[in-house]
Amino acid sequence: MPPYDDWNNIDEEEDEELQDPSVYETKKDVILFCIDCSDSMLKPYDDPQYEDVQTCHLFTALEAAMQIQKKKIIVGPNDSVGILLFNTTRKSETSRSQGSEIKRNTFLFQPIGPLSAPKVQEVIQLLDAAREDPDELRKTFPPLTHGRVPMGDVFTSCNWVLRDGAPKTASKRVFLITDEDNPHPSTSSKQLITSARTTLIDLTQAGVTVEPFFISTEDKPFDVSKFYSSVLLPTNLEDEDELQQDSSILPESISISRIEDLLSQMRFHEVPKRALFSVPFELANGFKIGIKGYGLVTEQKKGSYKYFVDLGDRMEVATVKTTYVDEDRQAEVDKTKIVYGCDQGAGGTEEDEDGEEAAGGAGARLVKPGSRPFFTTEEIRSFRTLGLEPGIKLLGFKPRSELAFEDNIKHSQFIYPDEMSFSGSKRTFSALLRSMLKKDKIAIVLAMTRRNSTPIFCALLPQDENVDDSGWTEPAGFHLIPLPFADEIRSAPIQEGFRASDEMRDAARKWIDKMTVKNGTYPPDSYPNPALAYHNAQLEASAFREQYDPDSFEDLTEPKYESMHKRAGSFMKKWKDDLANDNSANLVVATTGSKRKADVSVDEAEIKSKYDSDQLSKLRVDQLKEFLKAKGQSVSGKKADLVQRVSEWFDAH
Amino acid sequence: MPAERAGYTVTMFLIDVSRSMGTVRTVDREDPDGSAREIEMTNLAYALQYVKLKIQEMIFNGRKTDQCGVILFGSEDTRNIVNAANGGYENVYEYIPIGQPNAGTIAKIDALEPSTTTGDPIDALIVGVETQARYLANKKTWTRKIAIITDGESPIEVEDWEATVAKMDSLSISLIIVGVDFDDEFLDYTEEGKSNIKAANETFYRTLTSSMADGRGVVGNCEYALQDVSRPEVKQVRSTLMATVLRIGDVNARPGEAIELSIKTSKCTALVRPKSWKKFALRESNKDKMDVDEEEEAELSGKIAYASLKMKTDCYINLNAIKEDEDGDIEMKKEYDDESLLDPQPDQGDKPKTDTLERVEKEELVRGFKYGTTYAPCPDGQFPKLPTRKGIDICGFFPQENFRRELAMGEIQYIWADPSSPQQQVALSSIVKAMQGGFEICDEKTKEKKETRSLLAIARWVTKDGMDPKMGILWPNSFDNVDCLLWCPMPFADDVRKYTFASLDRLVNKKGEVLTEHPYLPTDEQMEAMDSLVDAMDLMDAGEKDEEGNRLPWFSTPEAFNPAVHRIKQAMFHCAVFNDITSNPVPPPHPDLLVFFEPPKRAVKRAKKALQECKDIFKVKEVPKRVGKAKKDGHAHAQDEDDNLLLLDRKQPLDKTQSQMSIVEDSSISSPNKSKQPLADDGSETEEEDEELLLDKNTTMSEHRKDGPLPTPARSVSPHVDPGRAPGRIIGNAYPLKDFRKNIAQGDVVTKAVEDLSAVILEIVMKPFASRRKDEMLECMGVLRQTCLEEDEIDAWNSFVHEIKGKCLSKPGNPSFWEAVKQAGRELSLIGKQEARKQGGDSVVTENGADETS
Repeated sequence: MPPYDDWNNIDEEEDEELQDPSVYETKKDVILFCIDCSDSMLKPYDDPQYEDVQTCHLFTALEAAMQIQKKKIIVGPNDSVGILLFNTTRKSETSRSQGSEIKRNTFLFQPIGPLSAPKVQEVIQLLDAAREDPDELRKTFPPLTHGRVPMGDVFTSCNWVLRDGAPKTASKRVFLITDEDNPHPSTSSKQLITSARTTLIDLTQAGVTVEPFFISTEDKPFDVSKFYSSVLLPTNLEDEDELQQDSSILPESISISRIEDLLSQMRFHEVPKRALFSVPFELANGFKIGIKGYGLVTEQKKGSYKYFVDLGDRMEVATVKTTYVDEDRQAEVDKTKIVYGCDQGAGGTEEDEDGEEAAGGAGARLVKPGSRPFFTTEEIRSFRTLGLEPGIKLLGFKPRSELAFEDNIKHSQFIYPDEMSFSGSKRTFSALLRSMLKKDKIAIVLAMTRRNSTPIFCALLPQDENVDDSGWTEPAGFHLIPLPFADEIRSAPIQEGFRASDEMRDAARKWIDKMTVKNGTYPPDSYPNPALAYHNAQLEASAFREQYDPDSFEDLTEPKYESMHKRAGSFMKKWKDDLANDNSANLVVATTGSKRKADVSVDEAEIKSKYDSDQLSKLRVDQLKEFLKAKGQSVSGKKADLVQRVSEWFDAH
Repeated sequence: MPAERAGYTVTMFLIDVSRSMGTVRTVDREDPDGSAREIEMTNLAYALQYVKLKIQEMIFNGRKTDQCGVILFGSEDTRNIVNAANGGYENVYEYIPIGQPNAGTIAKIDALEPSTTTGDPIDALIVGVETQARYLANKKTWTRKIAIITDGESPIEVEDWEATVAKMDSLSISLIIVGVDFDDEFLDYTEEGKSNIKAANETFYRTLTSSMADGRGVVGNCEYALQDVSRPEVKQVRSTLMATVLRIGDVNARPGEAIELSIKTSKCTALVRPKSWKKFALRESNKDKMDVDEEEEAELSGKIAYASLKMKTDCYINLNAIKEDEDGDIEMKKEYDDESLLDPQPDQGDKPKTDTLERVEKEELVRGFKYGTTYAPCPDGQFPKLPTRKGIDICGFFPQENFRRELAMGEIQYIWADPSSPQQQVALSSIVKAMQGGFEICDEKTKEKKETRSLLAIARWVTKDGMDPKMGILWPNSFDNVDCLLWCPMPFADDVRKYTFASLDRLVNKKGEVLTEHPYLPTDEQMEAMDSLVDAMDLMDAGEKDEEGNRLPWFSTPEAFNPAVHRIKQAMFHCAVFNDITSNPVPPPHPDLLVFFEPPKRAVKRAKKALQECKDIFKVKEVPKRVGKAKKDGHAHAQDEDDNLLLLDRKQPLDKTQSQMSIVEDSSISSPNKSKQPLADDGSETEEEDEELLLDKNTTMSEHRKDGPLPTPARSVSPHVDPGRAPGRIIGNAYPLKDFRKNIAQGDVVTKAVEDLSAVILEIVMKPFASRRKDEMLECMGVLRQTCLEEDEIDAWNSFVHEIKGKCLSKPGNPSFWEAVKQAGRELSLIGKQEARKQGGDSVVTENGADETS
């Protein structure tokens, strides 16, 4: 969402870029946490992080749910979340807004509803109490001691809870958290499996996706084949992606993890996967496959502020409506009647003294009746698109090395085959991907991903499937990297400069080597956006009506000075000394500018001596300015300001 | 001559309006579809296009210092400063004084008509030089340009022209003569039957211009000049250098060790967007309105007015929604929220609910953020910002080969050492060179020499004190004579989304085995075909030949214009110059814009065989669906299939007829191995067997279906009314055909719609009193069959026919309905092989079999 001042200016025809992030935000997301509350989930064990603290799986699961809630509330303030517990004897209170009683031994802790501060606080308070008293959770949610709830009942409860609480257009998901891989070991299991499967189908048909998070421990490894593999659906109506899954293949989104990884596993699923576009990919004339595009890298901005109306008892968001008016007439103009032209130009209205031609009031254009000097919406769209239909067209291949670092202008997108629009897309896509990886090639393509966008040239960078240390699998597909146009490339404004000797270079390399992570890369995960985090922390405090303590904030993007100096400090000093003794210290750049710039180059030492003797005001304004400019300081203001600023600079250095 | 600055220019247009300019000529015009047609116009109108395009360019760039003036020669009247002072210089008229042009300027030029006399261009030139010189009296640095637009048919007094040239040279004026039908070597054009006077004049103009200093005089053909003006051209932007510092280490705590370099940054790539359109609307003539003056004025001139529109924003609050909310109806409020979010302008008309929007003044509003449904006040519009310090901090280094190109987030910037300090330049250069690697360095401890790798730096950039920091990487870069770093912004943890995707190579079946053969996996043969296609479509030798005859690569970023930017510019210019775009549509895009829209011929030719093989071997087939976006039609929310479906599901009891087949059928039909399934081929299979085959991987489900409903708990609750549509179905029993057509039109639910309609027909036919809807059902079947045929659902149709036959003929059946189906003949028969082929599909039923069964 753009910041407030921008969303006034959104123009349907020109908001290409703005649509990008909003895709995530206009559709609501609903998550129902469905957490197993059985005896094993409540079994206390030592907290791995804190000493002398006992924790249990349920605690961790609830904490993870709370963390997700906190994150969601900021990323998607209109999303809804609920928490359902099963295998507990606690009864639901008289069905609040609940249309129907849910199944026995399932308990609705938080009904589905829009996120709010009190709701998050409720979970936080429960968790705090549980920290104090390890039995708190057991007391609050007494576990079912004999047997287990049929999973079918659990799914049915989920269905009802979502049915009653979730907005109709939202994407709905159930995060199923359990450590029991075989809930129904008894003889009657066949029927229970069938019923679980049937109810799960009902759930799926209601547009709900079930995302299982199975907890596996050393003592109790989680075996999917015991029960879940025959129950879980490979298909999913909500996300048509999964429709294409062959039923012989296991669903992709099962995650089995250690309890410690639960939160990070959930983070992967935090945002529902949504395609930004679904278009044909034309490999050659008459050879098309289907693909979908996803935004894997998009700048996450702060939420925009809103205008609220104080209604006494509460605050209500005001809706902002934009209209177009003919100012001379003060009349609102119907959207369909708007036509488009170019700027009329601002200059020279005063010279219209003999203005019988230019009459008609400011900004109006007179033409013969029946003529139309402006374009319709349709026409200007065809200018944007050059008459192309959305799609990606392959132009040819180049070696990977041809993709220059500086040929970048925007973030990339990720494309993945779509078997639903063209059958055979997957094998063709795979073959192309493998072939390009083998030959180390990139493809140049012409891409227009949406009906209203402009055609751009992109490089397709093949991505092999990769499993990293954290267990995250980098998916296979192509990165669609927009290339700059000739219009977007700027030439280097500086053509020559003094260069370092090999000795200087080697001296620099020594400290650089000390700061190098040998097998490292740029780690996005290590750098949460500090400005965003700082903003969100204050927003949370404001909503919780707490005082925010700015000192508690830690900026993880700041350089690790301690270790830098410890490792490389001495080499840096050596390099600095070398630099001071380098020939270049005595050189002066010949000023190439015009005559007026006669003698502004003042030695820093000279200024320093003036500073020390408090005689800065003896210097001329242009000299002061030159010095400040060299230090990257502002050169505005009167002489006194400049003197002030120069002495401030010396104070600081 | 100093580099030309953008703007700071006065251009004088000296326009010939002599009688001869009234000669009518035919001009070829290209329509947007590429077809040519001829239109007639005077030489003057033709030549004025050049002037208008030039002036439009000034308006487009919108610079105050880009100005022009217009002087006519050959006009009936005389009005110019030289004449006023000294007399003479007749028939030269200062038509538009020098100033920044606007749309009015173009309108004035449009009003020009040829005169009945002639004028001397040299007179006009002297007036032009003088007028310009007087205007720029104290603006010595401005660039002076003069353009003469003429047909060269008027007599010129060729005397003393050397003095004029000397004058122009002393003022560094550049002169261009735009001649109608002048001979032109670039165009390879020679006018036939040229008059003697014109020939002499052309020669004179050439002598005149060639004797000007520094090649500042040019003669050109008007046609060529018009082409030149409409050629796309990159607008060169010189980046400003921004001063900042590069820091390594803690400058405050350890100034002895920490490094601080003074640097400049400038943009290397910068996103360019098409210029935005201004909005206009036709003013409706409305005599009752107050602006009578203006109306009359417009009417007097016999013209209609298009008014420029201004944007106005107002804040509203929906009181109605709030009232409902207070009544305790939470749903209503939620729905309102929904809509306002999706569509800021709620479509009236299809909503029975009347929203009472009340306008509120912006001053009465409080700023704040939403934290879920909680209001978090924030009167300043933002919370205190993270305190930061201007500069670029290096955080560490890593090997260049580990750089992940796809994470690059945006525009690239150059980072230069301070151009005024050699020492800083050496310092930065040493870092750049050190990072580039490729040299040997002696290890401190082991004293061994080792080769260095290329490194990149991770850095944190704060553009101004207090600004939000950005993370990025620094890439070492060496130009011929200078070293610099390149900055590329990289994502924060918050900016990266991790979506899970099914593996493309590793397919695991339910037993946990990895599959090696599957329709999703390319075979060796397919891999080979793809490899040769990739080789054939190589671009490295698909471009033009260089001087030595070597093929150059095809496509590079500095050659590729942004087509939208230039196309929109062209259109804007066009509508500014022409007053009616219906009779004068925008010509097709300039060919330079489209050079990279098709793969190079050389590669395409080379790839012909490989492509054919790929087409044959991969057998990609479009799955029929998606007919446009149905969302646009104002009823979007209400009719959204998804909405209905979910809404009904919510309110509906689940019952036994629920169609649970959808998922399975969808997957089996869409999966490419469909063709490999051993479907029955004699058309005599029973319904159940047919189903078995379709569902072979999912026996639990078909069992469930056959055994009747399990006692699932859901069935016990049924508090709601029956809307006619079974849960999960998109086709209702009440108006099946209507529902079906709607869904087919929507496009992406064909399979589901076909399946649901089949189920609905079966249900209705098997109900008591079915005969009442017999005709309707037959019609449904007709439409269903047609759809199945066209949408490649042939197997679904055939199995449906088997099923309905079975049901009708069993007990309790509906034999009369089956009779009716049979009577319909081929219109409702099974779809046979031949018929299917015609539609590009396939059927397992032979043509005879198709005839027999029905």
